[in-house]
Amino acid sequence: MEMTSIDLDVDILVIGGGVVGCAILRELARYDASIALLEQYPDVCEGTSKANSAIVHTGFDARPGTLEARLLAEARQLWPEVIARLHIPYLQTGALMVALNEQEQATIAREIVPKAAANGITLQPLSRAEILEAAPYVNERIVGGVLVEGEGVIDPFWTTRAYCEHALLNGAQLFLGERVSAIEVGPQRLRVRTENGKTFSAALVVNAAGLWADEIARLAGDHSFRLTPRKGEFLITEEDHGVAQIILPVPSEVSKGILVTPIVFGGVLLGPTAEDVSDKRDLATTTAGQQRIREGVGRLVPAMSTVSTVRQFAGLRAVSSTGDYIIRPSTVSERLLHVAGIRSTGLSASPAIGHYVGKLVGETLGLRLRTSYRETLPEPLSEAAHEDGEVVCLCRSITRGEILAALRSTLPPQTLDGLKRRTGAMLGECQGNLCLPRLIALFQQELGRDPLSLEKHAPGSRLLVERLTHLGGVPAHSGERPKRGQ
Amino acid sequence: MRKMQMSAYTLEDMPLMEDLHEGDYDVAIVGAGLSALSLLHSGGTALGRTVVLDYQEQVGGLLRYLLPADGFGTEWELLRDFQLPSGVRLLLQTTAVGLLPANDAEPTHTLVVRRRQGTTQLRARQVVIACGGVERPREHDAIPGTRPSGVMTPVLALQLLAQGYLPGRRALVYGDSRYALATARRLAEVGLEVITAAPASGNGRSVRLCGTLQEICGFPRLTAVRLLCDQQSVEVEVDTLIYATGLLAGTHWLKGSGVALTAAGTIAVDAHYRTNIPGIYAIGTVVRPELDHEDSVRMGKEVATLLPGGVS
Ligand SMILES: Cc1cc2nc3c(=O)[nH]c(=O)nc-3n(C[C@H](O)[C@H](O)[C@H](O)COP(=O)(O)OP(=O)(O)OC[C@H]3O[C@@H](n4cnc5c(N)ncnc54)[C@H](O)[C@@H]3O)c2cc1C
Ligand SMILES: Cc1cc2nc3c(=O)[nH]c(=O)nc-3n(C[C@H](O)[C@H](O)[C@H](O)COP(=O)(O)OP(=O)(O)OC[C@H]3O[C@@H](n4cnc5c(N)ncnc54)[C@H](O)[C@@H]3O)c2cc1C
Repeated sequence: MEMTSIDLDVDILVIGGGVVGCAILRELARYDASIALLEQYPDVCEGTSKANSAIVHTGFDARPGTLEARLLAEARQLWPEVIARLHIPYLQTGALMVALNEQEQATIAREIVPKAAANGITLQPLSRAEILEAAPYVNERIVGGVLVEGEGVIDPFWTTRAYCEHALLNGAQLFLGERVSAIEVGPQRLRVRTENGKTFSAALVVNAAGLWADEIARLAGDHSFRLTPRKGEFLITEEDHGVAQIILPVPSEVSKGILVTPIVFGGVLLGPTAEDVSDKRDLATTTAGQQRIREGVGRLVPAMSTVSTVRQFAGLRAVSSTGDYIIRPSTVSERLLHVAGIRSTGLSASPAIGHYVGKLVGETLGLRLRTSYRETLPEPLSEAAHEDGEVVCLCRSITRGEILAALRSTLPPQTLDGLKRRTGAMLGECQGNLCLPRLIALFQQELGRDPLSLEKHAPGSRLLVERLTHLGGVPAHSGERPKRGQ
Repeated sequence: MRKMQMSAYTLEDMPLMEDLHEGDYDVAIVGAGLSALSLLHSGGTALGRTVVLDYQEQVGGLLRYLLPADGFGTEWELLRDFQLPSGVRLLLQTTAVGLLPANDAEPTHTLVVRRRQGTTQLRARQVVIACGGVERPREHDAIPGTRPSGVMTPVLALQLLAQGYLPGRRALVYGDSRYALATARRLAEVGLEVITAAPASGNGRSVRLCGTLQEICGFPRLTAVRLLCDQQSVEVEVDTLIYATGLLAGTHWLKGSGVALTAAGTIAVDAHYRTNIPGIYAIGTVVRPELDHEDSVRMGKEVATLLPGGVS
């Protein structure tokens, strides 16, 4: 290896600040070891972890015998404690799978119920009348269905952040805006370089780079797997029509289908579609995709086919050829551990993935548990603090106190979208067009951020291009402006 | 340069919470936009004990970021010359978050309001809802494509200019309302290269490109938009899109209040601006969210004569 100086020497380095990487970081923090995480974006939870259905799946429909099924089952046991200790917003809504005809009803009896049983879950069959009584908004034409009691919805941003904050509380280090661009594999240590020119050295590297995990592997000379993106489009509505459960169609061969899902912080999520795409950055929404969603949800909850929408977005599933999670050492070194192909259940399985990988790494490196480990995160701000201050986001009634609490937190937002995911401001009808200038001012006041440097999400997404100098500038809120034509 | 009268009211004048509970008001007005100012201008002290509250730091509603502007003479005059009638209390940075209509046990209407000092309640015999609305963002109309920075509505662009920042260099302003075109002129004045565009079905005002917005392109910053012009897809390279297609009535805070809405989501009123609940009125954008309506000032005037105790 060359003579580059090392910027940071740690025992374990995690690449990727999604829900999986952060869950792993949290578990690694239990060990007496130095640990750090590298994330290319200016915030955690900027990859697939921010664009999913936000369901904590029980795993009732997982393929029995797979690692995915096993970790989903373990996660079921772990969630209650994780939710309590990290104070994560969660709602156990239950899920109703509804059959639209006798054929689907037969599929439930023949395939779904036995598969769930193999995964240790008993599904409760419901008649048409029972479903319509529990969920009067469901399509009257259904013939029956089943209730999956243990399914619920969670705040995926909060989950990812809380894992990370919990790890930070226990001594982990976080490096945001660091994109890994080279990996050198040595016999005892790996060197990881970033685009910014930093070099990190670690005894073990965990590759949790989501959709890009195959590219991280390739940087180390490992070509053993490939990941391809499968796009899922969504739309959000604030018209809930009373929807209080997750409504699932009977799945087809190719996907779980298009669902109706209550959102834990308000509104209803419709989608996702499933479309294989070629570009790992293709997150565009499409007219065809949005139409498919409306058709799909219309079959389950007719009122949802014509609702107004406040937002549309898309996420990319990381599809691997193996059809199961890829959690194993690299083909080039025992010291590079892949955690990849976590396609459509990564949020749900995250506590168990963290636990499983933590144990694996602990054993590989012969680590001991730390004597002092803080099991719980401090309570988020009390209701009283939330009440503090005037309303800043008019559409969602988010107060100045809530914005300040986020800006002053352990893991403060670096971007406008980061602030949105922490507070709910800008999520409403006007999408931030009214309150954004006030948020920019608070960013400047609290974190000393020059408004010109403030980005929306990804590097290069600045909102402002220049100070207005040639007109002398216009003082904010003065109600004055220079005369025309000057 | 003429100074605006409204700058005379500063936040320092804001009464503290304790002072708010001096008993019931005769009239509480939610929102201090053009329709409310028009009501106050016409009604004056005859309205009785009146309180006006607004989310913003100053009066004038959404339009104040644009004024003065060509073609908005009446609105500008109202705003420029506005004087708060004596005895009317103005509470800025004060947002109504709920409304509990009068009932058998409680003969006055109660507004739940949030301000810097916390949440409190205001009681009034009559409530005028003049809270306007917000602009329709690109998301409301589900315009497909990427989600880059550089896509905004006029009120955001105008606020950023007012704070002394340029939001971009080359902008397409989509919409042909007076408001859209006035925004386009303002952006051109400060040095942006501006292209105006609108669908053929619009107001028919003259724009450079006639077409429907099809797609938003580029990431992390906007690089282009695609329009369908005369059945041909045209890509226009811009770093900024000003989406100016309309307004949405601001009724979210009335959820559960019992105030009836129309199918279009506006507050339902009769010819005298009465809602379904006696003593609760609604005027301005919240009843007529069409971007080009010129009725707010008139509605304010009219309701001033209709309120019991109002001028005739
Ligand atoms: C449409 C859809 C619906 C879904 N619904 C659900 C659901 O309801 N429930 C559920 O449990 N799961 C669901 N999932 C799956 C879930 O979202 C994923 O399994 C999970 O988010 C994967 O997390 P991750 O941390 O592996 O990936 P990511 O969140 O993508 O994190 C990977 C991180 O690595 C970073 N990175 C990549 N390359 C580099 C580099 N070179 N240097 C530094 N950092 C790098 C990225 O920036 C990213 O932040 C859904 C997925 C989709 C797409
Ligand atoms: C851009 C634009 C161009 C228009 N052109 C004209 C025109 O030329 N002439 C004309 O007559 N009309 C015009 N209209 C229509 C309408 O007159 C204007 O919107 C006018 O500003 C509407 O007045 P308003 O009082 O109904 O609403 P707004 O001006 O929007 O004022 C509402 C006020 O209520 C406040 N508010 C909202 N919710 C709450 C709450 N919960 N608690 C407290 N305060 C709240 C807001 O901060 C805002 O200041 C236009 C509208 C717009 C937005």
